[in-house]
Amino acid sequence: MRLEKCWFCSSTIYPGHGIQFVRNDAKIFRFCRSKCHKNFKMKRNPRKVKWTKAYRRLHGKDMTQDSTFEFERKRNRPQRYDRINTEKVLQAIPKISKVKATREKDHITKRLSAGRVNRRAEDRRELEQSISLVKAPSVLKEDATLTLPKQKVTVSYAQTENTPMEE
Amino acid sequence: MVQFNFKGITVVPSGKEMVDIILSRTQRQTPTVVHKGYAINRLRQFYMRKVRFTQQNFHDKLSAIVDEFPRLEGIHPFYSDLLHVLYNKDHYKLALGQVNTARNLISKVAKDYVRLLKYGDSLYRCKCLKVAALGRMCTVIKRIGPSLAYLEQVRQHMARLPSIDPNMRTILICGYPNVGKSSFMNKITRADVDVQPYAFTTKSLFVGHTDYKYLRYQVIDTPGILDRPFEDRNIIEMCSITALAHLRSAVLFFLDVSGSCGYTVAQQAALFHSIKSLFLNKPLMVVCNKIDLQQLNALSEDDKRLVDEMKAEALKTLQIGGDPNAEQQVLVTMSTLTEEGVINVKNTACERILDQRVEIKMKSKKINDCLNRFHVAMPKPRDGKERPVCIPQQVLEQRAKDQEVEKEKEKRKLEKDLENENGGAGVYSASLKKHYLLANDEWKEDIIPEIIDGHNVADFMDPDILERLEELEREEGLRLAGEEGDDFEIDGDNMTPEEREALNEIRKRKKALIQEHRIKKSTAESRPIVPRKFDKDRQFTTERMGRQLSGLGLDPSKAIERVRSRSVSRGRKRERSVAADGAGDDGMEIDNDGKGSNKRLRLRSVSRSRSRSRAPVEEVIPGEGFKDKEQKVKAIKLGKKSVKKRNKDARKGEADRVILNMMPKHLFSGKRGIGKTSRR
Repeated sequence: MRLEKCWFCSSTIYPGHGIQFVRNDAKIFRFCRSKCHKNFKMKRNPRKVKWTKAYRRLHGKDMTQDSTFEFERKRNRPQRYDRINTEKVLQAIPKISKVKATREKDHITKRLSAGRVNRRAEDRRELEQSISLVKAPSVLKEDATLTLPKQKVTVSYAQTENTPMEE
Repeated sequence: MVQFNFKGITVVPSGKEMVDIILSRTQRQTPTVVHKGYAINRLRQFYMRKVRFTQQNFHDKLSAIVDEFPRLEGIHPFYSDLLHVLYNKDHYKLALGQVNTARNLISKVAKDYVRLLKYGDSLYRCKCLKVAALGRMCTVIKRIGPSLAYLEQVRQHMARLPSIDPNMRTILICGYPNVGKSSFMNKITRADVDVQPYAFTTKSLFVGHTDYKYLRYQVIDTPGILDRPFEDRNIIEMCSITALAHLRSAVLFFLDVSGSCGYTVAQQAALFHSIKSLFLNKPLMVVCNKIDLQQLNALSEDDKRLVDEMKAEALKTLQIGGDPNAEQQVLVTMSTLTEEGVINVKNTACERILDQRVEIKMKSKKINDCLNRFHVAMPKPRDGKERPVCIPQQVLEQRAKDQEVEKEKEKRKLEKDLENENGGAGVYSASLKKHYLLANDEWKEDIIPEIIDGHNVADFMDPDILERLEELEREEGLRLAGEEGDDFEIDGDNMTPEEREALNEIRKRKKALIQEHRIKKSTAESRPIVPRKFDKDRQFTTERMGRQLSGLGLDPSKAIERVRSRSVSRGRKRERSVAADGAGDDGMEIDNDGKGSNKRLRLRSVSRSRSRSRAPVEEVIPGEGFKDKEQKVKAIKLGKKSVKKRNKDARKGEADRVILNMMPKHLFSGKRGIGKTSRR
């Protein structure tokens, strides 16, 4: 039993899911669900369809080259069963996938961090420009910080009470 | 070929039949319609044709008979003699001769009458001539009727004659009646000849076939012969005699030593001697049958002597290159009942025939040509050394090993046997992992995981995966350490929470402005543009201004004061009611922000102590567009009137509709005069 990758969106196909299409030239296309299958039948190029992994990799949205990809490689030669090796592998796999996941996350964060800087600059500009909507210029002259003005609240005498606690 | 098989002769019809056949044929196959008005030539032709036709047919039929019956000179003398014996040569020839003559006569008749017909002058005369002609022909046939009948008989009998090939290797069995010839025949061939206790059971020749040394032999069973002078013999005996005389075959003379056939040995010996002339040039064997009843040694002296005489005769026919057991070849004993010696007899007879035939062939001229072609080459031995077969040692060893393996295979326990022991096919499932070749045999029963966490385990298999993993983790550590420094840089330019609050407020306000603008824009067409000072909804109040200004951080009190001092009083002095408010304070009296409503209007008349800021309804306000008070009052009245009906119907407004009938019939039924009714 093997987990395959969907030809269109590159997600894993679990057993019992999806459709396999074998073309006349004996090339096998596996699809994880009918969405991918129908897109394929419409002859759409996965590299142009935004939500697929192929697009994301091609346009640099996701990590493309990394040493963690070398660990997972399809081998065509069967190997003799070795308990020791298998145990090692089973221990290693979660660690490798963790490292891979963190790296992918970092890649995306790095990519988006540039946007963060821009957004911050934009916010500051907006604040500076439009502070007059919330703060009168004379108040601004007195209190040059870009914050909301301090509200004067009138307190009527009838409301004040002597609290025994205050001295 | 008619040589020895007479089955192909066509049936000979009797006289009457023949006449009928031919006349009906003439009737059918010649034109039948003729009138006396036809031209004379035509009439003549008509009848001539009939006569000629009949003649032709007779000719054909009779010719067929004559041709198909065999000519006695043209067939094998055996057959001609046989036919003579059976049917009498002369009679046969006579019959055929008569048929021939009849044919000629008919031809003559036809010729004459055709000549006469040439000069026939009327239909009637021609017809008479034709009738006469046909009549004459038929009489001829009638006359040869008996001959035809005889010929038919002969034909039938001839068809049933056994097909004996005179040139084939043949064994002839002869002897007294009831000696056991037919039984012997039955034993060695597949022929099923009648065997009965009475004499002359076999009345004619019977043929059987047997095989010896890959060759076929004919065996001919004859009827018994009695010892009589030649002239007195009957037809049946004559058959045997004929066969004996003409067929070049081996002769088995059967002798019944027990005498149970009804004839003594002496009589049989006498017969032998009388027909021994027929045995010339034929391999002769004397077969003593029925020895189960009487042994040869136990015979009487006379009988023994007779037998010896016969043997001596037989020896003469033997080839002069005689072997030691010549006696065995000539005189044999057997019993068909116990089947003792039967095969021996057959074999001996066949051998002798073969020898004789080979001898003859050898002596003939033709063989010399063939002989040159035969040559059997035998290599001459070079020296007297023995040269046995040589097998290399390895081959012998291999052979021995193969044998061992074979034995082992038989001893080895198969999986099939194991299955059968443990409950059969459905119960026992073979452990396929039994013969796995692993580094450690304990691992054979392991369940190997194939999938973990959405990955295929097989894709990760690597002997040094742990080392590589370590390396990777080290790398990762370094990378993470490096990245932490980067993060701090970005966080430098961050806003304080107050600033963030201000920004949010700004955005809120902006949104509100945009929304308001959009509403205004969308309703611009239907909304009247009224200047601010004629603010009908009373939204531009000092309170609002005050709120807004304080929101901006300014102190609104002065502005409000200024506005108030400048505002025009609206027709009535303001009466303050101090008691209603709280204790007088400095001056921040915020006016009641009352919207003009009917309620206020009504209340106005009731209590006058409360200060009103609103003007009465009839009072003309400059922005509204009324000329004077009366006009405004009238307008109000009209407005109310228009609303009264709706209010009575409890309808909210003009748009509040009640549709009593959602699908009125006139809209949803009926055909159109022209066009389709696919939409309603």
